[in-house]
Amino acid sequence: MKNFLLRFNWILLLCAMALIGFGIVFIGSAGSTRTVAALQNAWRAHALTAAFGLGLMFLLATVDYRKLLDWAAIPGHLLSLILLVIVLVFGAKIYGGRRWLWFFQPSEVAKLAVIVCAAHVFGCFSDRLANFKGFLIGLLIFVPPAVLILAEPDLGTALVLAPTALAMLLAARIWTKGLVTMLILALLAAGMVLGTVQAAERQVDPEAKARILARLPFRPHQISRLRTFVNPDSDPYGSGWNLRQAMISIGSGSLWGKGVGHGEQKFLGYLPPSVSMNDFIFSVLAEEAGFVGSFSVLLLFLGVFASSAFTAIRCTDDRGRLLVIGVTALLFSHMYINVAMSIGLMPITGLPLPFISAGKTFLVTTLAALGLVQSVAVHGREIDIQDQ
Amino acid sequence: MRVSAVSILVLLAVCTLGVAVLASSLYRVQVNNVAQFRKTLVNQATRRISVPGRRGRILDREGNVLADSRPSHDIVCRFECFQRGGGWSNTVNAVDGEITRLATVLRLPRALTRERIARSLHDSSALPLTVWRDIPDAALARFAERALDFPGFEEVLRAERVYPQGGLAAHVLGYTGRGRPDSDTGDAVVHYYEELEVKGRSGIEGYYDGYLAGASGERLVRVDARGFRKDDIAVEREPAHGPDLRLTISSGIQAALEHALKGIFGAGVVLDPRDGAVLAMASSPTYDPGEWKTRYRELLNDKTRPLYNRATSGLYPPGSIFKPVTSVAALIKAERADGAFAWTPADTYDCPGVFVLGDMRLKCWDRYGHGPVALRKAIEQSCNTFFCNLGHLIGTNALFTTARSFGLGARTGIDLGGEAAGAISGEPWYAGLTCQTSIGQGMLQVTPLQMAVVAAALANGGKIYRPYLHLRDEGEAPPAPVRTIACPADKFEIVRQGMRDVVEIGTGRRIRTRFGEGRTKYNLKVTCAGKTGTAERGHGRKDTWITAFAPYENPTVAIAMVVENGESGGKTTAPRVHEVLAHIFGEEEATR
Repeated sequence: MKNFLLRFNWILLLCAMALIGFGIVFIGSAGSTRTVAALQNAWRAHALTAAFGLGLMFLLATVDYRKLLDWAAIPGHLLSLILLVIVLVFGAKIYGGRRWLWFFQPSEVAKLAVIVCAAHVFGCFSDRLANFKGFLIGLLIFVPPAVLILAEPDLGTALVLAPTALAMLLAARIWTKGLVTMLILALLAAGMVLGTVQAAERQVDPEAKARILARLPFRPHQISRLRTFVNPDSDPYGSGWNLRQAMISIGSGSLWGKGVGHGEQKFLGYLPPSVSMNDFIFSVLAEEAGFVGSFSVLLLFLGVFASSAFTAIRCTDDRGRLLVIGVTALLFSHMYINVAMSIGLMPITGLPLPFISAGKTFLVTTLAALGLVQSVAVHGREIDIQDQ
Repeated sequence: MRVSAVSILVLLAVCTLGVAVLASSLYRVQVNNVAQFRKTLVNQATRRISVPGRRGRILDREGNVLADSRPSHDIVCRFECFQRGGGWSNTVNAVDGEITRLATVLRLPRALTRERIARSLHDSSALPLTVWRDIPDAALARFAERALDFPGFEEVLRAERVYPQGGLAAHVLGYTGRGRPDSDTGDAVVHYYEELEVKGRSGIEGYYDGYLAGASGERLVRVDARGFRKDDIAVEREPAHGPDLRLTISSGIQAALEHALKGIFGAGVVLDPRDGAVLAMASSPTYDPGEWKTRYRELLNDKTRPLYNRATSGLYPPGSIFKPVTSVAALIKAERADGAFAWTPADTYDCPGVFVLGDMRLKCWDRYGHGPVALRKAIEQSCNTFFCNLGHLIGTNALFTTARSFGLGARTGIDLGGEAAGAISGEPWYAGLTCQTSIGQGMLQVTPLQMAVVAAALANGGKIYRPYLHLRDEGEAPPAPVRTIACPADKFEIVRQGMRDVVEIGTGRRIRTRFGEGRTKYNLKVTCAGKTGTAERGHGRKDTWITAFAPYENPTVAIAMVVENGESGGKTTAPRVHEVLAHIFGEEEATR
């Protein structure tokens, strides 16, 4: 018990709780303009979910992650795959996608399951998997859930698995040359896609524009998001609306913000209420809390990443390190993509901001992931203690 | 260990770099470019709404109100109270349904179509929609009782233009419509209008529109993403009421003039010859400017053209009332020519009853001839041959120069729109036309207002004033004459005496005398001078004229009146002029 209290990563907990605090405040602010009671009280649900998640975190921290991985890594991955199949068949169709199974989104759970499974497999057998065979096994772990999530469809969640996988495979030094080559190829491909969109945007003739855009293997709404990214003013009242209004919200927040609950963009509905407490909550936050608030949030996230990295370094076991690296990479990808899209640095993708966006499954998953990190912090040093 | 600490530090470095990139971008957006985004936010969320000021009143010279703004109770609907999710049609349906429900409660007919509601919602959802204008008191009382049951509907007070004297001085006042204020044109700022301003379209309302309108105020309203009004931000500028405008018109004289013209086609203008102030101006047939709003289509299509101001725009041949002008032209030429033009006002001309020039024969109205007549007698008798001969003697140049200096052939410059200039010459020209012109026929075209100015000049000894309607403030310098006719006073007096004779013993006796029942006669209390005119217009149509001024010794009133399709100036028009002058100066039973 003394070890638990001493080794527990309190900084990580404090940063996470502070971020959850931001979440509760700004979900409340975003919900205040809504007429539906459930949305008005979404901040309360967020607080209760966070309490549950924090409880889960403490519970997981008491369990040795090695035992957990031994028992649950492979079955957990298989179970999440089954759930992803079930949601495709029986899931409730909301906004054109089958993402919901009863009260939760299996894709959020799958993210964690994939990290756990990859950390277990590569942590145990990394010496024998440092070649192309290891890469194939990595594909076997990451690709099936990604494909199933893509089929929902949920491009953002599927995409966020890529940097996570990349970070874990690179850290495990599996087929490094090949991975670096593939990373370069992927960047080139992304550059080509954006180049194509840019070339299309330069076309005056709408038919020529459509012909160029038809070469891209994307859905229409994805193409319009790419176009908005390349040329934010191309359609300010259509596909460019959200980005434009998010930028106005954030930009008009200035240094100190307008005060909690006083965001005009949200109040007047320019920032679409349907996204203001989810994917675009950062805009609400930045408008009302200003640069001071948004920068504080970034620093708290950095606190989460740095304290997790600290835990990983202190850990003396590959599985523990990979677990923490996977969780950190996932959270960072979420945070970066979400904030970057709100200020036009990336195309718009529907990804929640960890700890802050309203979304019960994702919050619980995030806190459970932190629970695993805490387990690494508490139990990860036991080997060298025993060795001495 | 396969997973090195270095790789963890690299991951942390990537995270830190990412956070730094985001933070610097956020700093650029939130701190460096804050002004730009603030401005965009204000622009998209703010509507500038123009609020009209109350229009100034129009008063007559004694202070009687001719045009006023009265409160009108309107019922408006605020769209933001009926905002529904989904398509726009849901909101339109909600508004539509409530209007129907309110209509039954207020017992008013539904005035707005669904399409009209949809259009307003689409164009200006931030502005209230006027559902009923100027509702009766009973409906207002019912609304006050039930207002709580109808959230989103409000009663607002607005101004409605009224003309308390009915149709009095309709052509002077003009009429109003609704439109955007003039200040709006060329302004880069987009304005919205809660209601369109009352705007003058003609007459004084049109000419002094900018003066009467005052300055419109401005309100800033915050709107949400769908354009519905959320709240009022600020009153940028309070509307300023327009000042009152005082006219030179005297309601009493105006009413007498309108009464005299009732039932005929014609016009009359009464001027103060001392400064050109218009005491009355009327055109017949007329209309009530208060009815303009409801009857404008009917009025515009009316064959009798009641909206047409014959006093300033009607063009008529002057006929014999031009003869004093010819006389003055001759007197000026005789004075200037210094013996080269050997004619004096005492020279007689033997009227044979017809004037022959080449193959043109101009008949005098007395076909046996007047015998030998001099200028004063010729005016009194309105002898055509005398003036044909005189015109022939002095020539076109002298005649036209004098006519122009009397202000004919040009707009008088009165502060009223739509004035006609008339004409004093035409092409081609031949000698006979000079003779015809000298008796007021030929190519001459004049307006009643121009002839009133001529009458005023004959009254005041040759001073031409610009007629005006906006009464000067006390203490303001009296207007100076535009020009003075260069004719010596003693010579001018001959013409005036001739005109007095017209009224005393000549063709215009009915200007002075009214023949009552039996053998009683009523004379004006003052001595009057005038001239009759009966102008041929072709097709047997005659326009009958009177110009007159009174009192003869020290004139305070000059009048010109024309009646279309009359019998003669002395018979048709003179009694009507008598009626106006009798109102001003009074009349008394003739002692015979």
